Amino acid sequence: MPGSGARRRPAPGAALAGLMLGLVLILLPAGLLARPVAAATTVRVLMPSPFVDSTAPLVASFNREHQDLRIEVARGPLDTEAMSDLAIGGLLLGDTAYDMLLMDVSWTAKYVAAGWLVPLEGLLGDDALEAMVPGARTGNAFGGHLWRMPLTGDTGLLYWRTDLMAEPPRTTTELEAVSRRLQAEGKVRWGYVWQGRQYEGLSCVMLEMIHAFGGQWWQTGSGRAGGQTELDSPGAIAAADWLVHLVRSGVSPAAVADFAENESLQLFAAGDAAFLRIWPYAWREIERGGGPVVGKVGVSTVVSAPGFRSGGTLGTWGLSLLAGSPHPEAAAEVIRWFTGPETQKALVLDQGYAPTWASLYEDPELKRKHPLLAVQRQALEQGPEVRPLTPLYAQLSDLLQRQINGLITAEGSAADAMAMAQSQSAVLLESAAGQDSA
Amino acid sequence: MKGFPMNTSLVNTLLMLPALLLLAIVFAWPLLDSAWLSTQASSVLTGLAPTANGGANWQRLLGDARFWQDAAGTLRFAVVSVGLELVLGLAMALVLHRPGRGRGWLRALALLPWALPSTVLALGWRWIYNDPYGPLNSLLKLFGAPAYGFLTTPATTWLFTVLADVWKTTPFVALLLLAGLQSIPAELEESLVLEGASPSQILRRLTLPLLRPWISLALMFRLAQALGVFELVQVLTRGGPAGSTESLALYAYLNAMRFLDFGYSATLVVATFLLLLLLTAMGWLLLRRRPLEISR
Repeated sequence: MPGSGARRRPAPGAALAGLMLGLVLILLPAGLLARPVAAATTVRVLMPSPFVDSTAPLVASFNREHQDLRIEVARGPLDTEAMSDLAIGGLLLGDTAYDMLLMDVSWTAKYVAAGWLVPLEGLLGDDALEAMVPGARTGNAFGGHLWRMPLTGDTGLLYWRTDLMAEPPRTTTELEAVSRRLQAEGKVRWGYVWQGRQYEGLSCVMLEMIHAFGGQWWQTGSGRAGGQTELDSPGAIAAADWLVHLVRSGVSPAAVADFAENESLQLFAAGDAAFLRIWPYAWREIERGGGPVVGKVGVSTVVSAPGFRSGGTLGTWGLSLLAGSPHPEAAAEVIRWFTGPETQKALVLDQGYAPTWASLYEDPELKRKHPLLAVQRQALEQGPEVRPLTPLYAQLSDLLQRQINGLITAEGSAADAMAMAQSQSAVLLESAAGQDSA
Repeated sequence: MKGFPMNTSLVNTLLMLPALLLLAIVFAWPLLDSAWLSTQASSVLTGLAPTANGGANWQRLLGDARFWQDAAGTLRFAVVSVGLELVLGLAMALVLHRPGRGRGWLRALALLPWALPSTVLALGWRWIYNDPYGPLNSLLKLFGAPAYGFLTTPATTWLFTVLADVWKTTPFVALLLLAGLQSIPAELEESLVLEGASPSQILRRLTLPLLRPWISLALMFRLAQALGVFELVQVLTRGGPAGSTESLALYAYLNAMRFLDFGYSATLVVATFLLLLLLTAMGWLLLRRRPLEISR
């Protein structure tokens, strides 16, 4: 802002001279800037609100350094699902106003099937993901194309209280036992809080728990739906059973049935729970919040049943190029910069985001300044769980959310709920297969 | 009060044409478009391209338990909230109609909840219902009662969506009824008072019968709005817990914007419209007849 700076400066000598100088200071940089701006290619990116804020300084410096290429960021909503609704609203009109979109990993298959994305391998190279941590690569390339470049390597994590225990629990049994002990001793009101509201977050919790009990949600196969569900397997039922058991036995509050990320974080940050399942971003939120647990929080990978190992649900964000972008090459350059190691490093330092590049996990400065990195790498290398890669994922997730939310808010057995979720999923996938053959 | 006589003179018809045209563009066209789309398969599986599927969407609708559950739930929500709003709105209108100091301020104040955007209101109520930190649960705690899951009890959560809706929309009903009250000549009431009628007699014999057209207007308005309830449930409950507060509009929205199943979403929209048509017709028939005889 050279203009405002000039105005605040006291006028030297005569008022007229000051005014002239001021005018020159205001107009000169504006005139210099105006020309390249007019000739520059502008790439428009739609991102959820928190990312707009966190990347604003980086985007500003990119725009300062580049004469011929400008990034224009549009602010989307804060909420992930609202963000998808907004983007889709624009895409349905056909002529999208954006070149690219910051996408949640769970949307990709749907967007590809709708024909909204442009393959990136031709622009970024076949090896674009090669130098990334294995877990962060998942969910970006399928069907022989690269659809998305990940910006963050988020996975579900377990937050625990370092003032209440020396080590985090590794198994579901340990977590439950520690919770009960701390609750009995009156140290915390509740043991474990997570996201149980009827929304996408509950599907994320369920996915990692299904794997934590040795099951899987999705078996990749053929057909337009791309596979089938295994929700009535013993592992999947055991996962649902454990979650509902936590609620019914009071280890988790009954209120988890209406908890999204915010509500669960709020309760943990207030010191009312020993454990929290949430994403990497929460660590900074807790530290910045200044509540009673600041400095007393540790982070670990999610717990699994004895004998199994779950990697935590993959919840990465990444940039995709939208069909209809008038300048894909320029957009690809912006994607390369935006998801590149330098930008990601700055985001780790400023925001505590989880990076995707393997080299950043070795960076001594980052290792020193960001304690979460070691755990994050472990989660990503442990093989994070990917939500079913099918264009019908939104429906499948909706079916499961309703069943699990119903299970934890009412009577009924986990086996019945999962059998219902499985049969409803099967009906949905069959009808898709019917359309396939038609 | 003369109903709405259908005048067939040419001038009147011509004068109505622009309005009819506008209605056709903003109302009939989208509806016809949806009706057509409801006969097509148009989803993420067809690459969003519409292809006729011979009434499969309608067949699916008839067998879709979720549709019927949502229809019943939406109806329950509409009937209970509009019923409460009429009763409370009438009481409020009667109070606001009384002459007295500061009446203007009181009227403005009473309208405030209605002026709030639904989303903001829903976020506010979400906090009020919060378990365990919200004000309602703090109040319960004060009295030594256990926390209540206002938004996590499938059997009762719909009542709390009704409460939020009543809080917001009662002022709107009150405003409509207040306009009706002001159209009743004061002399009529005065003459009844002179004859020694009690306030409750005045209300039953004079006010309510003369207010009937206004009540039916408020009823139509609110019923149509309540059957299309969307933002409130979307923000407050997202249709939960266990899908117990999902409205038809929310279901149609999910199908279009999340599932990208436009054929089925259009089917839900048309079905909701038919339901609305049926209900408003019933309400209209019920309330239309009698006011004329009584007010004469």
